[in-house]
Amino acid sequence: MIRTEGLSKVYSDGTRALDDVSINIDNRFTAIIGRNGAGKTTLVRILSTQLEPSSGRAFIDDLDIIKNADRIRKKVVSIPQEASPIGILTPSEQVKLYLIARGMTSSESSLAAKKSLEDVGLSESLDKPTDMLSGGTKRKVFVAMALASNAEIVFLDEPTTGLDPISRLEVWAAVRKLDGRIILTTHYMEEAENLSKDVIMIDSGTILERGSVAELLNRFKDKVRIESLNVIGDAFKVGDIYIKYVNEKEAAEYINKGVTIRRISLDDLFVIRGVTVEH
Amino acid sequence: MAWFYGFKTIRRAYSYVIASLITPLTLLFLIYIISDGRLVTYAITGGFVAIIASNGLASAGDAAFFRLQLKIQDLFVTTNIGPLDYMLGLTFSFIVFSIPGLVLYAVLGAWYHLFSLTNSLILIGILLLLTFATSAISFIIAGLVGHVRNVWGIISILSVVMTVLPPTFYPYRLIPQYLLYLLAISPATPAAVLAQGVFNLSPFDPVMIPVLLIETIAYVGLAIHFTRWREK
Repeated sequence: MIRTEGLSKVYSDGTRALDDVSINIDNRFTAIIGRNGAGKTTLVRILSTQLEPSSGRAFIDDLDIIKNADRIRKKVVSIPQEASPIGILTPSEQVKLYLIARGMTSSESSLAAKKSLEDVGLSESLDKPTDMLSGGTKRKVFVAMALASNAEIVFLDEPTTGLDPISRLEVWAAVRKLDGRIILTTHYMEEAENLSKDVIMIDSGTILERGSVAELLNRFKDKVRIESLNVIGDAFKVGDIYIKYVNEKEAAEYINKGVTIRRISLDDLFVIRGVTVEH
Repeated sequence: MAWFYGFKTIRRAYSYVIASLITPLTLLFLIYIISDGRLVTYAITGGFVAIIASNGLASAGDAAFFRLQLKIQDLFVTTNIGPLDYMLGLTFSFIVFSIPGLVLYAVLGAWYHLFSLTNSLILIGILLLLTFATSAISFIIAGLVGHVRNVWGIISILSVVMTVLPPTFYPYRLIPQYLLYLLAISPATPAAVLAQGVFNLSPFDPVMIPVLLIETIAYVGLAIHFTRWREK
């Protein structure tokens, strides 16, 4: 189990990135959602021992992230946000290098690298320099690293940011093949909905909501979202758009009134909490 | 890392090797012309020092690029290796880039009958210390810069200050002693002075042995701190 107690982080420029965060994470897939600057990356970097907290404590399977960092590093893999492979190396070399750094022998790492790259669908690209590969393929190289490492916990920090929809689907498919517990940060709500049973919503360094996707969306039961560029009663205003939540039956009244009707998604949690949604 | 990043890079990007050779070879040529061949042995000895020092400093670019742009350093934090292993891996990659240049200078040194077994072994020791010291400086720089673009300018300045100004390519006795000690802030200075001494080109200055050792230890210690392995 991952456990934090009053975890806070204030950077040297005074930015408070995390504020008294106390959570338990013990699901197979957990998504930490929030807009840019919400504190997602800071939380993941602290939990994966890349960054020290300013105060509070955190534990990975009862190991203290400060006192037992070396032991934790054997259990976790953390793929940083916008990480990119070393362009001159092939995917195979890149994964091997990483596995050797994790303590595998050269022959073990060769076998594991080949298998994991094939598992994520990169058998055609094993020996091409990674700077010749697409953005999605590069991300899959990192997923292959995590897969080959057999880590108990994998942190994926915004694994599909900047990818086209097809590449995103391919990365999701690769992520689903990972063993262990997956903690994923994202600002794409459909990513959280597709990959996670458990969602933690974070903004301005604090936890806003927590629960399964179904639980979090339950408050919108039988409702749909109506969007309009014109004022529609007591609606939320997000950017230039007015958003209102109405019952499905009530929605019929809005047809032919120039509105867009959408199904409810995790985006809507942000709307009702007054947090600007990113599309 | 030296194998993957060093040898593979040489095979796939020859420009790294040419870049590491170009300045020492140009200076060797100029010194040969200007001194009518009299100072060429200094230039050959200095060439060893300059190649290692400039490659060591150039690793700042990759260290910063790996940390800030590719996020490779963060990736390696959650492995079995520590900051010193990571630094040594990248450092040895850059030694690999230096090998063609070192071989070329070794051929020139043999041509001018510079080598004996003893002075060759001492030179290897000096160059190893210099590698660690200059690479450590590069990691300090890479840890301090906030953006990759800043590192290129700093390396250009430091390459001149730390490899061309020190007495790498000229007899160290040509400059006043206070200036020599001022320039000793660059590990290339004690390395060059010692190299000139062991090759009997200039008087041996034993003071430079502790200077090089202490500088290497100090720079490596600072680099471990500044490399931001686990950021605070």
